[in-house]
Amino acid sequence: MIYLFQVLNGIGLGMLYFLLAVGLSVIFGLLQFVNFAHGAFYLLGAYLTYDLTTRGFGFWAAMPLATLIVAGIAALIEAVLLHRIYKLPHTFHILVTVGLALVVQELVIIAWGPLGGSVPAPEGLQGVVILGDFIYPQYRLFTIGFTAVLAGLLWWLLEGTRLGAIVRGGSESPANMALLGYNTLRINTAVFGFGAGLAGLAGALAAPIRGVEPFMGIEALSVAFVVVVIGGMGSYTGALVAGLLVGVVQSVMTTLWPEGARLMIYVGMALVIALMPRGLLGRA
Amino acid sequence: MNPLDKPWAQLTLALLAVLVLPLFLKSGILATEILIFAMVVAACNLLLGYTGLLSFGQGIFFGIGTYAAGICLTRWQIPVPLVLAGAAVLGAATATLVGWLSIRRQGVYFVMLTLAFSQLFYFVAYTFSGVTGGDNGLLGVPRPSIAGTALNAPWSYYTFVAVCFVAVFAILVVVTQSTFGRTLLAIRENEGRAAAIGFPTRLFKIEAFAISGAVTAFGGALHAMLIGVAPLSNIEYHTSELILIMTIIGGSSSLFGSVLGAGFYLLLADALSTVWPRWLLLLGLVLVAVALFLQRGLWGLVERGYDLVFRRQRAPETPAEEH
Repeated sequence: MIYLFQVLNGIGLGMLYFLLAVGLSVIFGLLQFVNFAHGAFYLLGAYLTYDLTTRGFGFWAAMPLATLIVAGIAALIEAVLLHRIYKLPHTFHILVTVGLALVVQELVIIAWGPLGGSVPAPEGLQGVVILGDFIYPQYRLFTIGFTAVLAGLLWWLLEGTRLGAIVRGGSESPANMALLGYNTLRINTAVFGFGAGLAGLAGALAAPIRGVEPFMGIEALSVAFVVVVIGGMGSYTGALVAGLLVGVVQSVMTTLWPEGARLMIYVGMALVIALMPRGLLGRA
Repeated sequence: MNPLDKPWAQLTLALLAVLVLPLFLKSGILATEILIFAMVVAACNLLLGYTGLLSFGQGIFFGIGTYAAGICLTRWQIPVPLVLAGAAVLGAATATLVGWLSIRRQGVYFVMLTLAFSQLFYFVAYTFSGVTGGDNGLLGVPRPSIAGTALNAPWSYYTFVAVCFVAVFAILVVVTQSTFGRTLLAIRENEGRAAAIGFPTRLFKIEAFAISGAVTAFGGALHAMLIGVAPLSNIEYHTSELILIMTIIGGSSSLFGSVLGAGFYLLLADALSTVWPRWLLLLGLVLVAVALFLQRGLWGLVERGYDLVFRRQRAPETPAEEH
């Protein structure tokens, strides 16, 4: 029974990891841009949710609001700063986004202090679900359902709509998209905001589960990297499978070996890389 | 080529740095730390500048060296030269393993993998606190002693580290000048072509990793003896990031650029952190500015300054040029 509990926890956690990785992947796919500030957007999403709920907003208002604010800030950063450096080597992408991540982290500490805080589960989801002798928190069950619906929507958006076709077309050949009359600059800004917004949403959803603290961004960034490395960059299914795998491994290990739970994520990654260098579903 | 980029000029500059630091700095600890990071950053530069590998995992090797020194010196009576050599060997071995796994992926994946491995080793150190002391680290790491006298005073330890630094820097200069180093440059410029000529490029990259890891772990061991602790923070993500930031700020086109990068960062940190605890905010902005306006780093600035002065002396080309 404890394993069922941990597997469910892992699925919830894994779906959050999937959201993080897919945002990173979409940004890289279109812009060939390595975003080391991705964890900072997750951090910001969590803190904005924390801030808005302490100001009396309900979680249901705070979560979408936080997501939108993060997406807006990211789009602004892209429009003002990042589009200038796309043509530079990856080193400078990394330098700028590491710099941005530091700025965000320090601003968070200035605004909300170094200690962090907790976010209560939203009204109406504070109880538990009881199925026979199995008891599970309602909010965690909600995140699983909500992110599953979201994953479906995302898949449809990227694979089934005109917008997705534009994004994919832009990642194949920005020049051709420009020739077809699309304003690639604006698409780039929108996609960056969108990817960062997904990270912000993951942060907002995670806040009631794990609380907020100023250094949660780094952990999120490296987990997103692990998921992308295992799943294969640009592969939607890869991100989903790898996210769930990482989440479940971490949760189940929490029961078996609490101190080593997070270590096992990275050991798992090393094993996958040693056996299948391209990742589980990666192509090239 | 700028004459400052020549190997002898680089070595002379490194020697000068060693002699100049005591004149301008009051704190022997800070001066020693600069030299330790200068060699560690130069080792990172061997990967970034010469091989084109952006490694976010240098903190792993630094931490391994720190723990090697911490464990050997606090638990067993092992002579310091042996400890330093052991740390370097252990660093090389770890770097070979990490390099072998990371090099299986290229470009951005490679960067992500090195960062993920740095998290892996952090959690290893965190999880096995019986060996590493966990959050507390290993306390009471002694300074080395020569001929029976311990190098306890900061400046006497500085002298010891300075000798190590010059030796390591010279080795790195020799490595980059050798056929091996030239081949690394070829791999950086065009890996496909280097492979087509018949160079085993992966092997070369792993060897570069091993050398870099050895030097970094050596520096880590010296650092543990400097601060008297083998702390968990030396193997954290933050240390990897720090080493990489210093490398890029310094500029990756010459080894001495790394010395500038380490010096600039540590002096800035020393000056600002007492004034404003949130000074990392400023550092973040500095990084953005470097990427936008100073892509060849501080060394690029030095080269530009040298060219400016050099050309000014030459430009008149008149009889006035005599002194």
